Amino acid sequence: MSEIAQTCPGSGSGFACSLKAKAWSPYVAGILIGLLQVPAFLLIETALGASSSYVTVGGIAASWIDPAVTNIDYVAKHIAATGKNWWQVALVVGVAIGAFLSMRISGARRRPISPIWSRALGTSSQGVRYAVAFGAGFVMLFGARVADGCTSGHGLSGMAQLAVSSTVAVAAMFAGGIATALLLLRRI
Amino acid sequence: MSLVQSIVIGLLMGTVFGVALEKSRVFEPGMIVGQMQLKNFIMLKVFLTAVATGAVVIATLHGFGLVKLAPKATFYAADVVGGLMLGAGIALAGACPGTVLAQVGVGYRDALFTLLGGLAGATAFGYAEPVLKPILAASGPGKITFMDLTGLSYPVMAGGLAAVLVLILVGLEMWRPWRADLGADVDGDFGPTPAKAARPHLEPAE
Repeated sequence: MSEIAQTCPGSGSGFACSLKAKAWSPYVAGILIGLLQVPAFLLIETALGASSSYVTVGGIAASWIDPAVTNIDYVAKHIAATGKNWWQVALVVGVAIGAFLSMRISGARRRPISPIWSRALGTSSQGVRYAVAFGAGFVMLFGARVADGCTSGHGLSGMAQLAVSSTVAVAAMFAGGIATALLLLRRI
Repeated sequence: MSLVQSIVIGLLMGTVFGVALEKSRVFEPGMIVGQMQLKNFIMLKVFLTAVATGAVVIATLHGFGLVKLAPKATFYAADVVGGLMLGAGIALAGACPGTVLAQVGVGYRDALFTLLGGLAGATAFGYAEPVLKPILAASGPGKITFMDLTGLSYPVMAGGLAAVLVLILVGLEMWRPWRADLGADVDGDFGPTPAKAARPHLEPAE
């Protein structure tokens, strides 16, 4: 296992070398993520978050079919062409780009579906996994919007600001996640 | 700050975020489901480290008068019900609303369905919000923080939180070193069939 976790085989050092590693210490990655609050607060005057962007993109897609959706204040507020709305959409698009680049540089290619799912779901059916993923995504974002934040907005940002709402939401999130993973999924 | 500038900054920050999520492996379904089944602790380590770091840097910026805090308003029913749904979704998706994009980036095909489900769920909430808001946001104490509850200042509370989290992390790491949670293919998979699996990049002949 050590040959996988090591930072850089052979010669080379520094940042470029680290990007070739398949795995970093969770502490290095966590500090890097925490530091992203600096540009978020200073440049965008907001905190890290992800789930609002789903309302922005989903709301715009819905407005193509149903223009009346823009009459809902909540949707109108999220699809408005403001820096904060589009910064967050760009942020999550960037997450996909960053993960893609990181994977290509390290060579940590993935199979189309993680091998844990056939054990967790008790079936290797791709269709079952796709259906569960869609339903899970639906519940995940619906819940995040009910709570007004997700693992990023409530978890990373709200807890760092010692918000009571975020602490309650994160406790409920882990409670719901642990109960669901233990009761509905098989042990991986 | 123009719209274009905001988008460019978002893309750059997101790229760094995505690299950190991919390198820490926390975006892997195996790590997230493993965490929720209490057998893998990489997610908690990344999460708590990022919270502690965020607390220190936001308190520092705040101390210099550069930023205003933006805590979310507290509505206990919404926070609890929404949090439970969010957690249930995370367990079954094996992803968070942010990390699902990292899964899409590395080519997990099921993550596209999680993403579509998420867009549908957020849109459904948008339609339901006028009806739900009076119920969920019926009453609450507003944007309260633990500074309001204790009377302590933000730097003291943020420093205290970071110190407690560091102690928890040191304990966690001593109890369970992070390398032990990676798995042979750095995906948190400790399944019984390593020989059957196609892992060409781990072959000696590489």
